[in-house]
Amino acid sequence: MKASATNLNQTQITDTLIDRCRKGDVRAFRELYNAYSGAMYNICLRMTNNVSDAEDTLQEAFIQVHRNIHKLENAGSVSAWIKRIVVNHCLNTLRKKKVYFEDPEVVEVEVEDGLDEEHFSWTVSAVKSAIETLPHGYRTVLNLYLFEDYSHKEIAEMLGISESTTKTQYMRAKEKVRQIVKQQNATR
Amino acid sequence: MPEDLERFVQQHREEFEVPGPSPHLWDAIEKELGTQQGGAKIIPLVKRNWFRAAVIALLLINAGTMFFFISRNQQRKASLAVLAPDVAEAKTYYSSRINEKLKLINAYPLEELGLDSAARKELELRNETYKTLEKELKNNPGNERIKAALIRYYQLKLDLLDKILEELQEKKVTPEQTKKHYEAEI
Repeated sequence: MKASATNLNQTQITDTLIDRCRKGDVRAFRELYNAYSGAMYNICLRMTNNVSDAEDTLQEAFIQVHRNIHKLENAGSVSAWIKRIVVNHCLNTLRKKKVYFEDPEVVEVEVEDGLDEEHFSWTVSAVKSAIETLPHGYRTVLNLYLFEDYSHKEIAEMLGISESTTKTQYMRAKEKVRQIVKQQNATR
Repeated sequence: MPEDLERFVQQHREEFEVPGPSPHLWDAIEKELGTQQGGAKIIPLVKRNWFRAAVIALLLINAGTMFFFISRNQQRKASLAVLAPDVAEAKTYYSSRINEKLKLINAYPLEELGLDSAARKELELRNETYKTLEKELKNNPGNERIKAALIRYYQLKLDLLDKILEELQEKKVTPEQTKKHYEAEI
């Protein structure tokens, strides 16, 4: 993953806790769930774009975490490991909804003229609502890169598409977000 | 010119987060794991009396298995690795750890162990409960509840063997290294 700030809960997860989880200690697993469910829910919500799918996906992912806890080598890698399971479940949820990540039409990114003279401001709510309106494919790539800190190479592997496609989709997604936020600024 | 989207997101990263999921989600997960009646009660019991706990745990495991007898499909000949690769991987991991513990336990003299032959048989990896669960999984390869039950079976067994070993070590009993009553089957 790219080196950047993570949004995970900083609760101390020790090898002892992981070992207790491996032995089926429910209280230990609940501690693990409490430490990560908040951040993981945010990933699910960003990826699936609705509360119901996000909760279903998170539930399935944590059941998978429980089932595969024996595969986790040490507590040090628990964060990235759980996150990857959650992201994979989100992608499966999207695939079930017939979201295709490969874009058959390679269209050049449209960049408006006169960017240097633009005057508008980003706000968290405007960016969030702009991302929500993106097509699933664009939103997925943008979320994985911008919020979940995966590299284009990792995203390409996850989605089964080429690295150049993820880069193109990311640029187009970013451009669309910029245009939507700019429009929102103009109508204020 | 407005700042770059990436920089803006980085600077306001925390503000993009929403509160966590509904508190009921954990209840749903716990129910799905099938652990509400099992693990939570067993651990404190083991602390008090490991032998009774062993019997109770075995009964719980066996009782849980009966649930899966309700419906049976026709026999299909396929290996676990093909039908349920995730369970097959778990099997490899837990079998190895369970067998390590069983070897240590079996090195103790019978009188120190305090388990009769029926209880010792139950502690073996491939007892009747295990065979039943594995057979059911082969008949219903996609059944998530059977998969969960098999994983739970491994976890409970591993935990139980650990508790027995801890108890024996606390009593400072010396294992009789040459005395092995049976080898665990894999």
